[in-house]
Amino acid sequence: MKDSLVTVARSLIFVAFALILCALVFQFAGYNAPLMLWAVADGAFLRSGAIEQSLRWALPLFITAVGVGISFRAGFFNIGAQGQFYVGAICAAFAAEALKGGPAFLVIPALIIAGTLGGAVWALWPGLLRLRSGTDEVITTLMGNFMAGLLLVYVTSGPLKDPSGSGQQASSRPLDEAYRISDSLGISPTIIAIGAAVGILMWLLVNRTAFGVLASLAGRNGTMVEWQGARLWKLGLSSFIISGALAGLAGTIEFMGPNGRIASGFLPAHGFTAILIALVANLSVIGTAAAAVFFGGLASAALYLPIMAGLPAAAIDIINAAIALFITARSKLVDQVLRLGGRPS
Amino acid sequence: MNEIIIAILRSGTPLIYVTLAGVIAQRAGVWNLGLEGLMIIGACATIVGIMLTNSIVAAILIAILICVLASVLLWFVIDRLKANPIIAGLGLTGLGLGGTALAVQSIFGSQASVTAPFGIPKLGPAFGAYGVLSIAVAAMPFFVFGMWVLLRRTRFGLRLAACGEHPFAARSVGANPSRMRLVALAIGGVLCAIGGAELAAGSLQFFAQGMTAGRGFMAFAAVIFGASHPVGATFAALFFAVVGALGIRAQLMFGDKIPHDLLQALPYLATVFGVWLSGKLRGGAKAASSFAELKDQ
Repeated sequence: MKDSLVTVARSLIFVAFALILCALVFQFAGYNAPLMLWAVADGAFLRSGAIEQSLRWALPLFITAVGVGISFRAGFFNIGAQGQFYVGAICAAFAAEALKGGPAFLVIPALIIAGTLGGAVWALWPGLLRLRSGTDEVITTLMGNFMAGLLLVYVTSGPLKDPSGSGQQASSRPLDEAYRISDSLGISPTIIAIGAAVGILMWLLVNRTAFGVLASLAGRNGTMVEWQGARLWKLGLSSFIISGALAGLAGTIEFMGPNGRIASGFLPAHGFTAILIALVANLSVIGTAAAAVFFGGLASAALYLPIMAGLPAAAIDIINAAIALFITARSKLVDQVLRLGGRPS
Repeated sequence: MNEIIIAILRSGTPLIYVTLAGVIAQRAGVWNLGLEGLMIIGACATIVGIMLTNSIVAAILIAILICVLASVLLWFVIDRLKANPIIAGLGLTGLGLGGTALAVQSIFGSQASVTAPFGIPKLGPAFGAYGVLSIAVAAMPFFVFGMWVLLRRTRFGLRLAACGEHPFAARSVGANPSRMRLVALAIGGVLCAIGGAELAAGSLQFFAQGMTAGRGFMAFAAVIFGASHPVGATFAALFFAVVGALGIRAQLMFGDKIPHDLLQALPYLATVFGVWLSGKLRGGAKAASSFAELKDQ
């Protein structure tokens, strides 16, 4: 555990580096950079109620990021978390429409299952293409993101359209209050319990089961795992399905919790941020929790940037992109400076 | 018929320029997922350049300069800092998408799109119905041929392929894989700038946030589909453009029966099909360096 936290700390130094780099660029572009950094810190962690807000963003991100970590561990670049997140939310929304009027204690689990399955299906086809025909999953999952985005536009302006919605952004009819798992603040015992359950189950899966060990080995050397008698395609497909299911679950939580409806193009940076979180955490589950809180803070701070520093919310996208650019860099110099010795993990 | 061909050339040309950039990077052994970001930077820089300098030549030169600098940044992160090319490429794409949105907002105030007074010169009435196309469309076949010559018929091209396939062997004959990658990515930057310029200033003359809409990723898929051969990849890109144009046609014809949002997904679906087919034909795409492998370095 200590090991993984050290790794996260090391990655966060890169993150801080990216933040400062971005601040310099923003200063150069005519914005007030110190005020921006202050706005980020204040909006994320210092302001009263900021921690709750950060957790609200962190929990769905954590769930998606754990899934991303599982497929990356197995050596598959499933970068389609965004699409799986959308399809999960769409499936839950359709299920909500179909089960309208049922008792809440049955409908709520049914919606969660529908959303999770939806996400899993959206990861299943790239997984099958990859493992059956060797189709590169980077491209198929990326294209899946674009297709899911269009599907969301279609669903929110077609079958699930809210007739009373404004013309600005098409959205679905709001979910019945009885089926919501949190208010619009987005933090509730149910959501926290789901997050904790996912965290514990996935930690056990990765660290305490044959599947977890073999999948990590498969990511390093697939041939060796085959020779040991494990079925590579089974391991691979399972990791695709798990990662998609978790992204779908996160989409469902956003739908049933804070948002209460789905809107075209909602939370467009969710998948990319989750990938970053998994990488910052170096794919460990515990590290992912720590990194998710940090990036959840950034996401919540994004709402304050336009007010505090006059910066568009796109500034956070730029910061995230800069982090992505540098996060997998393994500079010997940094390791030496940090005195982590010759064992970059 | 002419109309369809014009539509295909219009949407296909930017894609082909960016595809060529992907081809040369792929030959050098770099999976360039930054194409999307480079393309939108090229598009944005061209339109902003036209507004600021009032000259299309200066605008494109500015776009080329910025795209080459961004490519060099990508090279530095991948080659010198040993970052994972896929993640770093996605990072560059994010920087391009976010950076252009911020740039447009800080230069022109809160506007979603910027319209330029003029764009790349058109071919003119001498070409009949095709006169509405820009000169970048006419130049495109020469670029494809030039890339073919460069990659297949020159010493540089051979060395580049060697660097991509077996850097150690390339080094043994005196080639410097790191420098070759730099040159390949820089040439790619020039091509992405032209592709972006054609997208924004070819027939439209405006820039909108996120206007590339995945075209850079499609170009990358065309590289895979076309087996990283300049001509093959060009035809793969043309295939995506044909599907896109047919989708628009279908919208006009059956718009009331099939929702147009779903028809818009056709090019993405065609991309998946193309990559699937190339995997089938060649027994699986050459795997990118896996993340775990990177961790072990």
